[in-house]
Amino acid sequence: MDAFQHLMAGLGAAMSPGNLMFAFAGCMLGTLIGLLPGLGPAAGTAILIPLTFSLDATGAIIMLCAIYYGAMYGGTITSVLINVPGEAASVITCIDGYAMARQGRAGSALAIAAIGSFVGGTLATLALVVVAIPLATLALKFGPAEFFGLMVAGLCLVIGLAGKNLLAALLMTVLGLLLAMVGLDPVRGAPRFTFGMPELYDGIGFIPVVMGLFGIGELLIAAERRETRMIEADLKKWNPTKQEWRASAGAIGRGSVVGFVLGLIPGVGSIVPTFMAYVLEKRVSKTPERFGNGAIEGVASAETANNAYANAAMVPLLALGVPSSPTIAVLMGAFIVNGITPGPFLFTERPELVWTVIASFFVGNAILLILNLPLVGLWAKLLKIPFSYMCTGVLIFCVIGAYGLKQSMFDVWIMLGFGMLGYLLRKLDLPLAPAILALILGPMMERSLRTTLEISAGSFAIFLDRPLALALLTIPVIVLGFMLLKPRAFAPVRQADAE
Amino acid sequence: MLNRRTLIAATGAAALAGPAVRPAWAQNFPRKAIQMIVAFPAGGSTDIGARIVAAAAEKEFGQPVVVVNKAGAGGQLGFTEAARARPDGYTLAFLNLPGLNTIILDPERKAVFGIDSFVPVINQVLDPGLVWVKADSPYKTFADLIEAAKKNPGKISACTTGILSDDHLAILMTHEASKVDFRIVHFDGGAQQITGVLGGHVDVAFDNVGGAFKRVRSGELRGLAVLDNERSKFLPDVPTSKELGYPTIISSSTRGIGVQKGTPPDVIKALEAGLLKAMQNPDHIHKLEEAGLGFKPMVGAEYAKYYADLHAQAAKYTEWALKMR
Repeated sequence: MDAFQHLMAGLGAAMSPGNLMFAFAGCMLGTLIGLLPGLGPAAGTAILIPLTFSLDATGAIIMLCAIYYGAMYGGTITSVLINVPGEAASVITCIDGYAMARQGRAGSALAIAAIGSFVGGTLATLALVVVAIPLATLALKFGPAEFFGLMVAGLCLVIGLAGKNLLAALLMTVLGLLLAMVGLDPVRGAPRFTFGMPELYDGIGFIPVVMGLFGIGELLIAAERRETRMIEADLKKWNPTKQEWRASAGAIGRGSVVGFVLGLIPGVGSIVPTFMAYVLEKRVSKTPERFGNGAIEGVASAETANNAYANAAMVPLLALGVPSSPTIAVLMGAFIVNGITPGPFLFTERPELVWTVIASFFVGNAILLILNLPLVGLWAKLLKIPFSYMCTGVLIFCVIGAYGLKQSMFDVWIMLGFGMLGYLLRKLDLPLAPAILALILGPMMERSLRTTLEISAGSFAIFLDRPLALALLTIPVIVLGFMLLKPRAFAPVRQADAE
Repeated sequence: MLNRRTLIAATGAAALAGPAVRPAWAQNFPRKAIQMIVAFPAGGSTDIGARIVAAAAEKEFGQPVVVVNKAGAGGQLGFTEAARARPDGYTLAFLNLPGLNTIILDPERKAVFGIDSFVPVINQVLDPGLVWVKADSPYKTFADLIEAAKKNPGKISACTTGILSDDHLAILMTHEASKVDFRIVHFDGGAQQITGVLGGHVDVAFDNVGGAFKRVRSGELRGLAVLDNERSKFLPDVPTSKELGYPTIISSSTRGIGVQKGTPPDVIKALEAGLLKAMQNPDHIHKLEEAGLGFKPMVGAEYAKYYADLHAQAAKYTEWALKMR
């Protein structure tokens, strides 16, 4: 049987009442998790693994995958409505989504996010069916040297993206990289900047930092403003206008491609695709100055890329058994707990399982669309909740989320500390996004660079021998250098950037 | 949810049937739930083994046995918490060797616990080291690899799952036994090893049977040597290092259960008896083997000797590794 026949058989199995119910329950739970700031897909999926112990393997995996991509979508809602990313990949959505919400267009932003997510997720799954096996082999060509190049490219992109002021963006990137240095040295194994606290040996937790910088920081700023409600939203106008549709269509197409391609590369993580799709959209836009001020393409591109990535990231997991992000790693753990080892044997040994699961991605994406389009109004109603309640609720969720990661109060203190820092940085008008990306890319960058040098016995010439790595390293540096030398050429683009 | 349900069922059943069938030692211990601190994240292979024995032990003790994941710093966070717990037998430490040893032995780690902080009670899993290459590698046998490494000192790259892991120590044992010098590359876990070697970025992986045996069986990887005295059940066709003439390259990752120093001897006895019975349950053994974890029960003097000997062996190679960095 070829892939298509397998898929048809899988669709039949995925549409069985039981599996349909698991997909539905997973989507609901996932959306809820994504909605709660601090409870990202990784933490949420991990918490919910025990729920699936009583199910058969296929049902369990269907449900956990649905929780995963449901959470990837759910994170959008808080990003748009209260500027708090429910999960890290929604950071970008905050930029234009929240700006839209402030203009009373929260409904449009959420609707286009749901549609973009559906299209991105469905296209990515279709592409997964076609390329899973051949492309997985290609992804292997990415060694540590190429990874390092990719991270450098990512950081250069974010610096280019995030600055009204390039210097401020560079400064925040360095801050992020410095924070990323905390923890055990990846080669020597020696603790660095840990002040003798074993809690810091694994570095400063990314999720508590994001929750602090974005979540708590925003709450403090909002509390200072003494607003009774965070933003005004016109609930009747949640249908995107014709103009908004036209603006979004291209963004959704491009976001699907960016998300899918990056999802194939193990280790990219869920943030880079959203950043890249957003930057691409801004670069191709005729009116880049609208970005940051409520450009619907910004929301569409990031959210589409986000879900296309989420589905594409299943390719290296299913075909190679290689988790490409922390959440996928949790999902892989769930596979194993359920007695299934992801990898090439999966397609030969358990074809009925793997194809049913893949088919369930189509079903799940459709469920998410049905769940979210009519419910956009309901989500938007969250704004009616008085700020004092909302603020308290978000704070409680943040504290629970931070504690729940490792059942440790230490992360809660980290989160609160970074909340204060986030407040301060906002007051100083410094961009947060470069610091966040540098914090997550820093350890991966350092490890891949040092692994590369271990492989080459310390010789940097290895980068010259590997054309892909060399290209990844030099092109963004040239672009960034050009931006620094000829700032005027980029002024209109950067001026419009909101952090 | 299932956990809670079975847990209630188990306690309920034990309450009904308890006093009549339970032996004398069990009458005073345990009287409440037992915690088992696992220093690695939920879903990992250590955690899977711990949860399998916890489920079996609940039935023996008639009390809940709760797995608490306290992951971080290569296990140091969990070991610290376990070492600091009250020595009353209600907080068990899931001990990963030689991970525990190398943390203690590296002075830069500033561990607050020592090797004497724990009393080993029972071993559960022994996962032997496995040296593997990709299926189309020019190294058909372990001898090929060693010969090539001798001809090209420092040129052949060998990867570990982490610095000072059992795999790292195994590479050093190979250096010592065969007078070769690999170029050591530290990865972060088994998945990176697979991409690194399959992608052709690294030549050979020092890993464990549990993580790689399925890929060896499927023909995707070639197992060169199992670093053990006897052949692995999971890879009966792969020769052992002992057979190949390297009796000093014996390396494994073992997982067992210990308690804090100062735990009353009768409590240790009760734990040992209950846990041994739980582990001998065919269901426990079957589930372990399904997960690719080799069952290797050791108790009492045998496990104590293994625990001490392993620490001495780890001390030697850790010192060596620390000098190299």
